[in-house]
Amino acid sequence: MFGSIVSYIREFARREWIHKFLFAKTAPLTTPVYSRGFPELTGKTCTHALFCMMACPAPGAIEVIHLDDGGWEPRIHTGHCIRCGLCVEACPNGVLYSGRILESMFYDNTMLSFSFRIDVDTNRCMGCGNCAVACPVNKTIDAQMSHGGRASTDELLLKVSEGKCVVLHPEKCTGCKTCEQQCPNEAIRVARLLEAVHAPEEEL
Amino acid sequence: MKIEDVVCTFCGCLCDDLVVEVEGDRVVSVENGCTLANKKFMGNNRLKTPIKRDGGNWEKVGLDEAIQTTAEVLLDADRPLLYGWSGTHGEAQTIGVHMAELLGAVIDNTSTVCHGPSIMAIQEVGHPGCTLGQVKNRADVIVYWGSNPIEAHPRHMSRYTTYADGFFLKEAFHERKVIVVDIRKTETANIADEFIMVEPGADYALLSALRAIVRGKGDMLPLNICGVEREQLFRVADICKSAKFGAMFFGLGLTMSRGKYKNIRNAIELVEELNRHTKFTISPMRGHWNVYGSNEVFTWISGYPFAVDFARGIAFYNPGETTSVDILKRGECDACLVVGSDPGAHFPRDCCRHLAGIPTIQIDPHVNATTHLSRLQIPVAVTGIDAEGTAYRMDGVPIRTRKVIETTYPSDSEVLEKIYQIIRKETGS
Repeated sequence: MFGSIVSYIREFARREWIHKFLFAKTAPLTTPVYSRGFPELTGKTCTHALFCMMACPAPGAIEVIHLDDGGWEPRIHTGHCIRCGLCVEACPNGVLYSGRILESMFYDNTMLSFSFRIDVDTNRCMGCGNCAVACPVNKTIDAQMSHGGRASTDELLLKVSEGKCVVLHPEKCTGCKTCEQQCPNEAIRVARLLEAVHAPEEEL
Repeated sequence: MKIEDVVCTFCGCLCDDLVVEVEGDRVVSVENGCTLANKKFMGNNRLKTPIKRDGGNWEKVGLDEAIQTTAEVLLDADRPLLYGWSGTHGEAQTIGVHMAELLGAVIDNTSTVCHGPSIMAIQEVGHPGCTLGQVKNRADVIVYWGSNPIEAHPRHMSRYTTYADGFFLKEAFHERKVIVVDIRKTETANIADEFIMVEPGADYALLSALRAIVRGKGDMLPLNICGVEREQLFRVADICKSAKFGAMFFGLGLTMSRGKYKNIRNAIELVEELNRHTKFTISPMRGHWNVYGSNEVFTWISGYPFAVDFARGIAFYNPGETTSVDILKRGECDACLVVGSDPGAHFPRDCCRHLAGIPTIQIDPHVNATTHLSRLQIPVAVTGIDAEGTAYRMDGVPIRTRKVIETTYPSDSEVLEKIYQIIRKETGS
């Protein structure tokens, strides 16, 4: 016991050890080129496809905002973003970039294949209409809907009918999950299936 | 046949954008309305004819006989109570107040067990309120205190507050912050930006703490106020102070918990403090579709919003004495007419026992808990479905409800008018 304590003290008292401990040099920290930061805008035009929101696994991390000039722009909330880069891969127009994701997709000839499905649990739904009013696709179809929940057309993606939320046109859904995130009763689920696949030659 | 812009007569939201499809004398579909609206319009369990208790059984009676019996019961009573009125239209409420004056009765509406304390607080310190249209177009901070609109007023958030795009808020819910204060994590709290879980009965202390913070005296507060971290209150106060326009809505969690009207007074005074920094308003989440109307009608005729006692020949108002629960608890009233409400489901047990012991008569389209306490029930048309009339939305905006189907039922006004005429004739007035 006493011997091991003495040996420890002798080891740590060595001049070489103390010098290394106090004056150790590590390589300066630099961000490597392959690092994936928060997604940034490439400058290409956003077409409001909303696939970025569909692919995003972090609630509240990304939303597509309507600009004053009539255009659209994805906005990243860095407090929520986990820098997975799925939004960059999902965007059909290359609006976002992060690290080498876009280059890798090009050189490896990969693309993100995805499918999604929107489902409403009518037992849980209160028909509050939060989903239909918040839905960004509905907003572009019917302003009356986004201004208070009055459906003036059946062309809407979803609306409240018979006291429950009803999906009228699932083919218009972009899977953006706004409805799911704004539903207070967890009555709407947007199930998504994403996989990275090799793009066929004509996609190049 | 599709009828547009139909008014839903369920909750205080009075949504007036429903599309109702009608076939013959029945509603077959409802668009835009919430689950509550759908059930109200599609419901088909109406009482067919007036029913009278005969020992342990009910027997069917004619409408005229039922009306005559009601008038006689009320004329015979020394201290009749006319209760309810929030589930009927303004025209019927007007007849009710005149009838109470003639009978020397007490007339009270459902505010007595609901937002009565809010009215008492407003009588003390005023009401810095606004219409829901202002909230929709301007408010970027919404506070729900002791209320759960998703359950009680399902379309409140999508139609008037959080989700509806407004004139100054193009991206509604992205630009609005929602703060929920409640004793449990409600459905509304699920979609709130900030949720304060308050201990039951601690609302007054929490409101006082927020007032102190808004006044700049937050440092004197303890680190934990009734189970809420002081830092969270600092954060919430900052959100409220930095709002361009804030709107607070409060429900029975505030009015009917410990402190009652003092809670509301404190909340109004918090809003007053916030108005030193920005524009802020406060409004009650009124429950019945026309409870606000009953307050309006009572006030414009008698001067008082609820619990009006005409026993002295003049209108007398003293909550705690002339309120229904207190009158019934003391066993004071000897006959009760219930119109458009269900005290059997909401009053304390002692009050229900007394109602069951005296001649209680109900005017209501459906069999409900009060039916079991009543001796006579007269079914009527449902305002907004097979009768029309004026109602007041929770923010005080009067809206004319519509009749969408033809009916054989008399409206509340028609039944009450007949009773009133008999009473007038008998009293010689």
